[in-house]
Amino acid sequence: MIATKDLGVRFSDGSGLRYADLTFETGSSYALLGASGCGKSTLLNLLAGILTPSKGSIVIDGQIVSGWSQRERDAYRIARIGYIFQDFKLLEDMTVQDNINILRLEGVNTSGMDALLDRLGILRLKKRRVRGLSGGEKQRVAIARALIKQPRIILADEPTGNLNFETGEQVVRALIENAGEGTLICVTHDDRLAPRFDRVLDMNAVARFFDGREATRNA
Amino acid sequence: MLSFALKSMANRRAKLLMTALSVVITAAVALMAYNISTQVSEGIVNTAAKYDMIIGPSGSATQLAMNTMFFTDKPLGTIPYSLIDELKATGLVNEAIPFSMGDSYNAAPIVGTDAALLADKPLKAGAMFEEALDAVVGAQVAKAYGVRVGDKLVTSHGLNTSGAHGAEHADHPLTVTGILARTDTAYDNAVFTPVSTIWAVHDHGHEDGDEAGEASPAPSVVVSSGAGASGAPSHAAPAAEEAHDEEHEEEHEDHDHAEEGQICAVLVRSTGFSAYSQLMSAYSGKAGYLAINPNTVLREVMDNVDLSRRIVYILCGVILVMNLFVVTVIALLNMVDSRREIALMRLIGISMKRINQLYLIQNAIAGAAAMVCSLLAAHLFLLAARGLAARMGIVLSATRVYPMEGAILLVVFVLSILPTAICTSAMAGRDGMDS
Repeated sequence: MIATKDLGVRFSDGSGLRYADLTFETGSSYALLGASGCGKSTLLNLLAGILTPSKGSIVIDGQIVSGWSQRERDAYRIARIGYIFQDFKLLEDMTVQDNINILRLEGVNTSGMDALLDRLGILRLKKRRVRGLSGGEKQRVAIARALIKQPRIILADEPTGNLNFETGEQVVRALIENAGEGTLICVTHDDRLAPRFDRVLDMNAVARFFDGREATRNA
Repeated sequence: MLSFALKSMANRRAKLLMTALSVVITAAVALMAYNISTQVSEGIVNTAAKYDMIIGPSGSATQLAMNTMFFTDKPLGTIPYSLIDELKATGLVNEAIPFSMGDSYNAAPIVGTDAALLADKPLKAGAMFEEALDAVVGAQVAKAYGVRVGDKLVTSHGLNTSGAHGAEHADHPLTVTGILARTDTAYDNAVFTPVSTIWAVHDHGHEDGDEAGEASPAPSVVVSSGAGASGAPSHAAPAAEEAHDEEHEEEHEDHDHAEEGQICAVLVRSTGFSAYSQLMSAYSGKAGYLAINPNTVLREVMDNVDLSRRIVYILCGVILVMNLFVVTVIALLNMVDSRREIALMRLIGISMKRINQLYLIQNAIAGAAAMVCSLLAAHLFLLAARGLAARMGIVLSATRVYPMEGAILLVVFVLSILPTAICTSAMAGRDGMDS
């Protein structure tokens, strides 16, 4: 289970976001809907340990991960979290298989790569450089990299953004299937996909943006 | 990790090549400077004479020493062969060896002497010369021109350093009786023959005998192979003799060679210090003569070489420090360029420790490659410089590697990985990705 309490983050310009207390049950899938800039991606980055909260806590399976050092959060992320980034975060000059095999640097077993690429329909691209792939193909490579380690938690930021509805639906189904007994938290703009998830969160109601002046007043 | 490092390097090959090239050039210069200066010093020390005195015509002491020890430079002139008998008659010498020079076989000088000069130089093949027109060939000459025992060598007039063809002594070819084992001294680059050969060769065309001591230009080289193995064909022919004589007389205008009864110098080993002192005082002040202690003269040359070597070392140090700066700047620029890649790896959970290792492995591979390339480049240059050095009487071995070169390469290796280690450590010190 993932639980946030009094979670807040402040950016370098003094602005920030505050979140209502949230709980994500193990074995469930969640769709985060909301307008651009409402804090969906920031929430995923906080849960993944990429961003450090300025206040509040994140508890995963009973452990207060928000109090950990960056090194500990890195180790947790590589071991437990599969993160599909909105802009893919792929090494463009490397091949598809290199982008997945890079996880072996941290001891991740990538032996199931071929089967996974096949399931995502990109096995034929395995030895191609990422730079030459289409947006949809890159997105599937990013999904493959996230899923190869069979993570307990899957965080997906617009994983269907570059795909048509049919393909996007297939990808969502694959993500839910791979999440299995774990937790899937997926940011999406496509309302049509929302029914596929166990729960839908309207982030406009969950997160509140504040600017620098307000932050100063509150302080 | 290694295979990923190699793939990542392949993607950044242009930048890595630039860094490696900078390292290779610096290291190769440092290695060459050290190797050449050391080999030159060693060559001088090894040649430092077993003779305690050299007597020649009056002139430059350095020229006399370099001419008789390294077979470079022109002889100062000639002195009578009878000096040898005169020296032996004093009872003050153990050895008095004649020395003559003036002709060449290709770029190799022909040295007229007697067998005693080569007493401590083992033969690789054949036997020592015994009579006029016999010859023993230095190891490098034999290798360079494919000379074998039994071959006939047609020498040419004067000391050839340019490779231009001049008048030949085709009517007096030398017969190779032996080949010296390699000594890594100037002896490797010369051809040795009895003094009587020089006299016999220069007897023709000088019936009037009025040209002794006059000079002729550096001529060129012609080879004839009596046994069919010494390389280029003989161009000499009796029909050309008339033209040759005219040419020959012109050539005598600017070089010395010994006419019959004349030699260029005498190499002396005295019976002891007292004998040495007596001989030195007798001949150093004698009109028309110059007596030198070759060790003293060579030590002066060595002092100059040592000074040059110290300057070279200082310059190498400066170059290495400058290179450290350049490599650091390039490494920093590379790291800035790599920031996106590093940030991306951090986002997917690769720890800074692994990223450090990855970049260090890449730089270690580049550094090791730079080490090998530096060593190869330096020694390839040595190989290329051998011919030029040989003409100056210096024998350079392209395969000789000194322990100090290992130390220089170690510095190169550290230079290759240190800047990256510092950069990545600094980045690793920033625990957090919020920025």
